[in-house]
Amino acid sequence: MSYEDYLSNRKVILTVAPTGGVHGKDANPNLPEQPEEIAEQVAACEELGASICHLHARDEHGENDATRIQEVNDAVRERCDDIVIQNTTGGQSTYDSRVQGIRTDPNPEMASLDMGPFNRGQHIITEHTRHNIDRLAAEMREKDIKPELECFNNGHLNEVYRLIERDALEEPYYFNLIFGGGTFTPPTPENVMNLVSNLPENSEFNLLAVGPHQLPLTTLSVLLGGHVRVGMEDNLYFRRGEQVESNAQLVERTARIVDLLECELATPEEARERLGI
Amino acid sequence: MSCPYLEYRRSDDTHEFDHDRPYCALAEEFVSPMKADVCNDRDGFTHDEFCEIFQNAAPEADASEDAAREEVVSELGE
Repeated sequence: MSYEDYLSNRKVILTVAPTGGVHGKDANPNLPEQPEEIAEQVAACEELGASICHLHARDEHGENDATRIQEVNDAVRERCDDIVIQNTTGGQSTYDSRVQGIRTDPNPEMASLDMGPFNRGQHIITEHTRHNIDRLAAEMREKDIKPELECFNNGHLNEVYRLIERDALEEPYYFNLIFGGGTFTPPTPENVMNLVSNLPENSEFNLLAVGPHQLPLTTLSVLLGGHVRVGMEDNLYFRRGEQVESNAQLVERTARIVDLLECELATPEEARERLGI
Repeated sequence: MSCPYLEYRRSDDTHEFDHDRPYCALAEEFVSPMKADVCNDRDGFTHDEFCEIFQNAAPEADASEDAAREEVVSELGE
Protein backbone atom coordinates (compact mmCIF):
# COMPACT_ATOMS: atom_id res chain seq x y z
CA MET A 1 0.00 0.00 0.00
CA SER A 2 2.21 2.69 -1.26
CA TYR A 3 3.14 4.76 -4.29
CA GLU A 4 5.46 1.88 -5.22
CA ASP A 5 2.44 -0.41 -5.31
CA TYR A 6 0.82 1.99 -7.75
CA LEU A 7 3.94 1.95 -9.93
CA SER A 8 4.06 -1.83 -9.86
CA ASN A 9 0.77 -2.02 -11.76
CA ARG A 10 -1.17 -3.84 -9.11
CA LYS A 11 -4.87 -4.00 -9.82
CA VAL A 12 -7.40 -1.65 -8.28
CA ILE A 13 -10.48 -3.03 -6.55
CA LEU A 14 -13.52 -0.91 -7.30
CA THR A 15 -16.44 -1.10 -4.87
CA VAL A 16 -19.81 0.41 -5.71
CA ALA A 17 -22.12 1.55 -2.90
CA PRO A 18 -25.36 2.11 -4.81
CA THR A 19 -27.88 3.00 -2.09
CA GLY A 20 -26.73 3.43 1.51
CA GLY A 21 -28.99 4.34 4.37
CA VAL A 22 -28.70 8.11 4.42
CA HIS A 23 -30.32 9.54 1.30
CA GLY A 24 -33.66 8.95 -0.40
CA LYS A 25 -35.19 9.54 -3.80
CA ASP A 26 -36.28 12.97 -2.60
CA ALA A 27 -32.58 13.94 -2.66
CA ASN A 28 -31.91 12.28 -6.02
CA PRO A 29 -34.65 10.36 -7.88
CA ASN A 30 -32.02 8.14 -9.55
CA LEU A 31 -30.99 6.56 -6.24
CA PRO A 32 -31.96 2.87 -6.38
CA GLU A 33 -33.95 1.73 -3.33
CA GLN A 34 -35.90 -1.40 -4.21
CA PRO A 35 -34.16 -4.78 -4.72
CA GLU A 36 -34.71 -4.91 -8.49
CA GLU A 37 -33.56 -1.31 -8.99
CA ILE A 38 -30.45 -1.93 -6.91
CA ALA A 39 -29.63 -5.16 -8.74
CA GLU A 40 -30.08 -3.53 -12.14
CA GLN A 41 -27.65 -0.73 -11.27
CA VAL A 42 -25.14 -3.10 -9.66
CA ALA A 43 -25.16 -5.28 -12.78
CA ALA A 44 -24.38 -2.24 -14.93
CA CYS A 45 -21.53 -1.35 -12.57
CA GLU A 46 -20.13 -4.87 -12.68
CA GLU A 47 -20.04 -4.67 -16.43
CA LEU A 48 -17.97 -1.48 -16.15
CA GLY A 49 -15.47 -3.02 -13.76
CA ALA A 50 -16.84 -2.95 -10.20
CA SER A 51 -15.82 -6.11 -8.36
CA ILE A 52 -17.55 -5.52 -5.00
CA CYS A 53 -20.99 -4.11 -4.18
CA HIS A 54 -21.78 -2.67 -0.76
CA LEU A 55 -25.48 -3.23 -0.07
CA HIS A 56 -28.22 -1.74 2.14
CA ALA A 57 -31.93 -2.54 2.08
CA ARG A 58 -35.02 -0.30 2.14
CA ASP A 59 -38.74 -0.84 2.63
CA GLU A 60 -41.46 0.16 0.17
CA HIS A 61 -41.33 3.77 1.42
CA GLY A 62 -37.57 4.03 0.93
CA GLU A 63 -36.86 3.73 4.66
CA ASN A 64 -34.09 1.54 6.07
CA ASP A 65 -35.18 -2.06 6.50
CA ALA A 66 -32.52 -4.68 7.27
CA THR A 67 -35.10 -7.48 7.02
CA ARG A 68 -35.05 -7.00 3.22
CA ILE A 69 -31.29 -7.49 2.78
CA GLN A 70 -31.95 -11.10 1.73
CA GLU A 71 -34.20 -9.86 -1.10
CA VAL A 72 -31.51 -7.43 -2.22
CA ASN A 73 -28.86 -10.18 -2.17
CA ASP A 74 -31.11 -12.54 -4.13
CA ALA A 75 -31.82 -9.90 -6.76
CA VAL A 76 -28.12 -9.04 -7.16
CA ARG A 77 -27.16 -12.71 -7.49
CA GLU A 78 -29.89 -13.16 -10.09
CA ARG A 79 -28.76 -10.18 -12.18
CA CYS A 80 -24.97 -10.22 -11.79
CA ASP A 81 -22.27 -12.59 -12.96
CA ASP A 82 -19.74 -12.82 -10.17
CA ILE A 83 -19.61 -9.56 -8.18
CA VAL A 84 -18.61 -9.89 -4.51
CA ILE A 85 -21.49 -9.06 -2.17
CA GLN A 86 -20.58 -6.93 0.83
CA ASN A 87 -23.57 -6.34 3.13
CA THR A 88 -23.71 -3.50 5.59
CA THR A 89 -23.72 -4.05 9.33
CA GLY A 90 -23.49 -0.31 9.91
CA GLY A 91 -25.84 2.60 10.33
CA GLN A 92 -27.83 3.88 13.26
CA SER A 93 -30.18 0.95 13.88
CA THR A 94 -29.92 -1.58 16.69
CA TYR A 95 -27.44 -4.45 16.81
CA ASP A 96 -30.21 -6.98 16.16
CA SER A 97 -31.12 -5.16 13.01
CA ARG A 98 -27.57 -4.57 11.77
CA VAL A 99 -26.49 -8.19 12.29
CA GLN A 100 -29.00 -9.26 9.61
CA GLY A 101 -26.31 -8.32 7.08
CA ILE A 102 -24.30 -11.42 8.05
CA ARG A 103 -27.28 -13.74 8.47
CA THR A 104 -28.39 -14.12 4.88
CA ASP A 105 -28.52 -17.41 3.02
CA PRO A 106 -25.95 -17.87 1.63
CA ASN A 107 -23.72 -15.65 3.73
CA PRO A 108 -22.22 -12.64 1.98
CA GLU A 109 -18.55 -12.98 1.10
CA MET A 110 -17.89 -9.65 2.81
CA ALA A 111 -19.56 -7.29 5.30
CA SER A 112 -18.77 -3.84 6.55
CA LEU A 113 -17.66 -3.50 10.17
CA ASP A 114 -17.91 0.03 11.57
CA MET A 115 -15.01 0.56 13.95
CA GLY A 116 -16.79 3.06 16.17
CA PRO A 117 -19.67 5.48 16.50
CA PHE A 118 -20.40 8.68 14.64
CA ASN A 119 -22.79 11.56 15.21
CA ARG A 120 -26.00 12.29 13.35
CA GLY A 121 -28.08 15.43 13.82
CA GLN A 122 -28.16 16.95 17.28
CA HIS A 123 -28.99 13.87 19.31
CA ILE A 124 -27.91 10.65 17.62
CA ILE A 125 -24.76 8.62 18.18
CA THR A 126 -24.59 5.28 16.38
CA GLU A 127 -24.46 2.22 18.58
CA HIS A 128 -21.02 0.89 17.64
CA THR A 129 -19.73 -0.06 21.06
CA ARG A 130 -16.66 -2.28 21.44
CA HIS A 131 -18.96 -5.03 22.65
CA ASN A 132 -20.98 -4.87 19.42
CA ILE A 133 -17.88 -4.61 17.24
CA ASP A 134 -16.38 -7.69 18.91
CA ARG A 135 -19.59 -9.67 18.47
CA LEU A 136 -19.84 -8.79 14.79
CA ALA A 137 -16.15 -9.53 14.17
CA ALA A 138 -16.45 -12.92 15.88
CA GLU A 139 -19.50 -13.95 13.87
CA MET A 140 -17.86 -12.82 10.64
CA ARG A 141 -14.75 -14.84 11.39
CA GLU A 142 -16.77 -17.90 12.32
CA LYS A 143 -18.68 -17.67 9.03
CA ASP A 144 -15.64 -16.83 6.90
CA ILE A 145 -17.05 -13.40 5.99
CA LYS A 146 -14.31 -10.88 5.17
CA PRO A 147 -14.79 -7.70 7.23
CA GLU A 148 -14.33 -4.36 5.56
CA LEU A 149 -13.02 -2.27 8.46
CA GLU A 150 -14.76 1.10 8.25
CA CYS A 151 -12.68 3.83 9.89
CA PHE A 152 -14.70 7.04 10.12
CA ASN A 153 -11.82 8.88 11.76
CA ASN A 154 -8.25 8.23 12.78
CA GLY A 155 -9.15 7.07 16.29
CA HIS A 156 -10.88 4.12 14.68
CA LEU A 157 -7.47 2.87 13.54
CA ASN A 158 -6.70 2.26 17.20
CA GLU A 159 -9.80 0.13 17.39
CA VAL A 160 -8.57 -2.02 14.50
CA TYR A 161 -5.21 -2.46 16.26
CA ARG A 162 -7.20 -3.55 19.31
CA LEU A 163 -8.93 -6.27 17.26
CA ILE A 164 -5.61 -7.36 15.76
CA GLU A 165 -4.11 -7.71 19.23
CA ARG A 166 -7.07 -9.86 20.21
CA ASP A 167 -6.44 -12.01 17.13
CA ALA A 168 -9.97 -11.23 15.95
CA LEU A 169 -9.00 -10.50 12.33
CA GLU A 170 -7.31 -12.41 9.55
CA GLU A 171 -4.75 -10.93 7.16
CA PRO A 172 -4.81 -9.08 4.95
CA TYR A 173 -6.72 -6.45 6.92
CA TYR A 174 -9.04 -4.60 4.58
CA PHE A 175 -9.62 -1.00 5.61
CA ASN A 176 -12.16 1.46 4.33
CA LEU A 177 -10.87 4.95 5.13
CA ILE A 178 -13.72 7.45 5.26
CA PHE A 179 -13.44 11.18 4.67
CA GLY A 180 -16.09 13.87 5.02
CA GLY A 181 -17.72 16.25 7.47
CA GLY A 182 -18.93 15.75 11.04
CA THR A 183 -17.29 12.85 12.86
CA PHE A 184 -15.51 11.68 9.72
CA THR A 185 -11.86 12.46 9.05
CA PRO A 186 -11.61 15.94 7.47
CA PRO A 187 -11.25 15.40 3.72
CA THR A 188 -7.75 16.58 2.84
CA PRO A 189 -4.88 14.90 0.96
CA GLU A 190 -2.68 15.37 4.04
CA ASN A 191 -5.11 13.39 6.18
CA VAL A 192 -5.32 10.62 3.59
CA MET A 193 -1.54 10.28 3.57
CA ASN A 194 -1.36 10.39 7.35
CA LEU A 195 -3.92 7.63 7.79
CA VAL A 196 -2.32 5.45 5.13
CA SER A 197 1.04 5.82 6.84
CA ASN A 198 -0.49 4.51 10.08
CA LEU A 199 -1.95 1.31 8.68
CA PRO A 200 -0.52 -1.99 9.90
CA GLU A 201 1.56 -4.33 7.76
CA ASN A 202 -0.36 -6.75 5.59
CA SER A 203 -3.17 -4.31 4.97
CA GLU A 204 -5.10 -3.21 1.92
CA PHE A 205 -7.09 -0.02 1.97
CA ASN A 206 -10.12 1.28 0.21
CA LEU A 207 -11.10 4.95 0.31
CA LEU A 208 -14.48 6.62 0.33
CA ALA A 209 -15.02 10.35 0.48
CA VAL A 210 -18.31 12.17 0.69
CA GLY A 211 -19.77 14.51 -1.92
CA PRO A 212 -17.31 16.66 -3.86
CA HIS A 213 -14.36 14.91 -2.23
CA GLN A 214 -15.20 11.58 -3.83
CA LEU A 215 -13.48 12.26 -7.15
CA PRO A 216 -10.18 13.81 -5.97
CA LEU A 217 -9.55 11.66 -2.91
CA THR A 218 -10.42 8.33 -4.54
CA THR A 219 -8.00 9.29 -7.32
CA LEU A 220 -5.36 9.96 -4.69
CA SER A 221 -6.09 6.52 -3.22
CA VAL A 222 -5.14 4.90 -6.53
CA LEU A 223 -1.85 6.81 -6.55
CA LEU A 224 -1.11 5.62 -3.02
CA GLY A 225 -1.66 1.99 -3.92
CA GLY A 226 -5.17 1.86 -2.49
CA HIS A 227 -8.57 0.88 -3.78
CA VAL A 228 -11.69 2.90 -4.51
CA ARG A 229 -15.30 3.04 -3.44
CA VAL A 230 -17.75 5.20 -5.36
CA GLY A 231 -21.52 5.28 -5.58
CA MET A 232 -24.61 7.20 -4.69
CA GLU A 233 -24.44 6.21 -1.02
CA ASP A 234 -21.56 8.66 -0.74
CA ASN A 235 -22.23 11.19 -3.48
CA LEU A 236 -25.41 12.33 -5.21
CA TYR A 237 -23.74 14.76 -7.63
CA PHE A 238 -21.62 14.01 -10.68
CA ARG A 239 -20.25 17.53 -10.62
CA ARG A 240 -21.31 20.80 -9.00
CA GLY A 241 -25.00 21.39 -9.69
CA GLU A 242 -25.43 18.20 -11.73
CA GLN A 243 -27.06 15.21 -10.08
CA VAL A 244 -25.74 11.70 -10.67
CA GLU A 245 -27.83 9.86 -13.27
CA SER A 246 -26.89 6.38 -12.09
CA ASN A 247 -24.22 4.56 -10.12
CA ALA A 248 -22.79 3.38 -13.42
CA GLN A 249 -21.96 6.99 -14.26
CA LEU A 250 -19.68 7.22 -11.22
CA VAL A 251 -18.15 3.79 -11.82
CA GLU A 252 -17.49 4.60 -15.47
CA ARG A 253 -15.63 7.78 -14.49
CA THR A 254 -13.46 5.91 -12.02
CA ALA A 255 -12.75 3.17 -14.57
CA ARG A 256 -11.64 5.86 -17.00
CA ILE A 257 -9.35 7.49 -14.41
CA VAL A 258 -7.81 4.15 -13.48
CA ASP A 259 -7.16 3.50 -17.15
CA LEU A 260 -5.59 6.96 -17.63
CA LEU A 261 -3.32 6.23 -14.67
CA GLU A 262 -2.25 3.08 -16.51
CA CYS A 263 -3.71 0.71 -13.95
CA GLU A 264 -6.25 -2.04 -14.37
CA LEU A 265 -9.38 -2.83 -12.41
CA ALA A 266 -9.47 -6.14 -10.58
CA THR A 267 -12.07 -8.70 -11.58
CA PRO A 268 -14.19 -10.14 -8.75
CA GLU A 269 -11.97 -13.24 -8.77
CA GLU A 270 -8.82 -11.11 -8.56
CA ALA A 271 -10.35 -9.09 -5.73
CA ARG A 272 -11.09 -12.30 -3.82
CA GLU A 273 -7.53 -13.46 -4.26
CA ARG A 274 -6.10 -10.12 -3.21
CA LEU A 275 -8.25 -9.87 -0.08
CA GLY A 276 -7.99 -13.50 0.94
CA ILE A 277 -11.68 -14.25 0.48
CA MET B 1 -45.97 6.04 18.79
CA SER B 2 -44.84 7.93 15.73
CA CYS B 3 -44.49 11.70 15.48
CA PRO B 4 -47.86 13.47 15.00
CA TYR B 5 -46.29 15.54 12.22
CA LEU B 6 -45.22 12.48 10.18
CA GLU B 7 -47.27 11.94 7.04
CA TYR B 8 -46.93 9.55 4.12
CA ARG B 9 -47.51 11.19 0.79
CA ARG B 10 -46.54 10.99 -2.87
CA SER B 11 -45.83 14.58 -3.75
CA ASP B 12 -45.04 18.10 -2.64
CA ASP B 13 -44.32 21.28 -4.59
CA THR B 14 -41.13 19.87 -6.14
CA HIS B 15 -41.42 16.07 -5.98
CA GLU B 16 -43.72 13.48 -7.51
CA PHE B 17 -43.37 9.78 -6.58
CA ASP B 18 -45.25 6.63 -7.51
CA HIS B 19 -45.26 5.47 -3.88
CA ASP B 20 -45.84 6.97 -0.42
CA ARG B 21 -42.80 8.44 1.31
CA PRO B 22 -42.29 9.86 4.80
CA TYR B 23 -42.95 13.60 5.00
CA CYS B 24 -42.53 16.03 7.89
CA ALA B 25 -45.48 18.42 8.10
CA LEU B 26 -43.51 20.75 10.38
CA ALA B 27 -40.46 21.10 8.11
CA GLU B 28 -42.70 20.76 5.04
CA GLU B 29 -40.32 18.36 3.32
CA PHE B 30 -39.75 14.68 2.70
CA VAL B 31 -37.51 13.16 5.33
CA SER B 32 -34.38 11.06 4.86
CA PRO B 33 -34.36 7.34 5.76
CA MET B 34 -32.33 8.00 8.90
CA LYS B 35 -34.66 10.77 9.98
CA ALA B 36 -37.64 8.51 9.33
CA ASP B 37 -36.36 6.13 12.03
CA VAL B 38 -36.76 8.99 14.51
CA CYS B 39 -40.17 10.06 13.13
CA ASN B 40 -41.37 6.47 13.58
CA ASP B 41 -39.87 6.07 17.06
CA ARG B 42 -37.87 3.08 15.76
CA ASP B 43 -34.64 1.47 16.94
CA GLY B 44 -34.67 3.14 20.33
CA PHE B 45 -35.24 6.63 18.95
CA THR B 46 -38.19 8.79 19.92
CA HIS B 47 -39.25 11.92 18.09
CA ASP B 48 -39.64 13.99 21.28
CA GLU B 49 -36.15 13.13 22.48
CA PHE B 50 -34.20 12.94 19.20
CA CYS B 51 -35.86 15.32 16.73
CA GLU B 52 -34.76 18.92 16.93
CA ILE B 53 -37.52 20.02 14.53
CA PHE B 54 -40.18 18.60 16.83
CA GLN B 55 -38.42 20.02 19.88
CA ASN B 56 -38.19 23.49 18.36
CA ALA B 57 -41.88 23.40 17.48
CA ALA B 58 -42.98 21.92 20.78
CA PRO B 59 -42.87 25.15 22.84
CA GLU B 60 -45.08 26.86 20.26
CA ALA B 61 -47.47 23.94 20.32
CA ASP B 62 -47.48 24.02 24.14
CA ALA B 63 -48.02 27.79 24.15
CA SER B 64 -51.00 27.62 21.83
CA GLU B 65 -52.48 24.77 23.91
CA ASP B 66 -51.99 26.88 27.07
CA ALA B 67 -53.64 29.88 25.44
CA ALA B 68 -56.62 27.78 24.37
CA ARG B 69 -56.88 26.34 27.86
CA GLU B 70 -56.84 29.83 29.42
CA GLU B 71 -59.52 30.92 27.01
CA VAL B 72 -61.73 28.02 28.04
CA VAL B 73 -61.12 28.72 31.73
CA SER B 74 -61.88 32.37 31.18
CA GLU B 75 -65.08 31.58 29.31
CA LEU B 76 -66.12 29.17 32.04
CA GLY B 77 -65.44 31.90 34.62
CA GLU B 78 -67.89 34.21 32.87
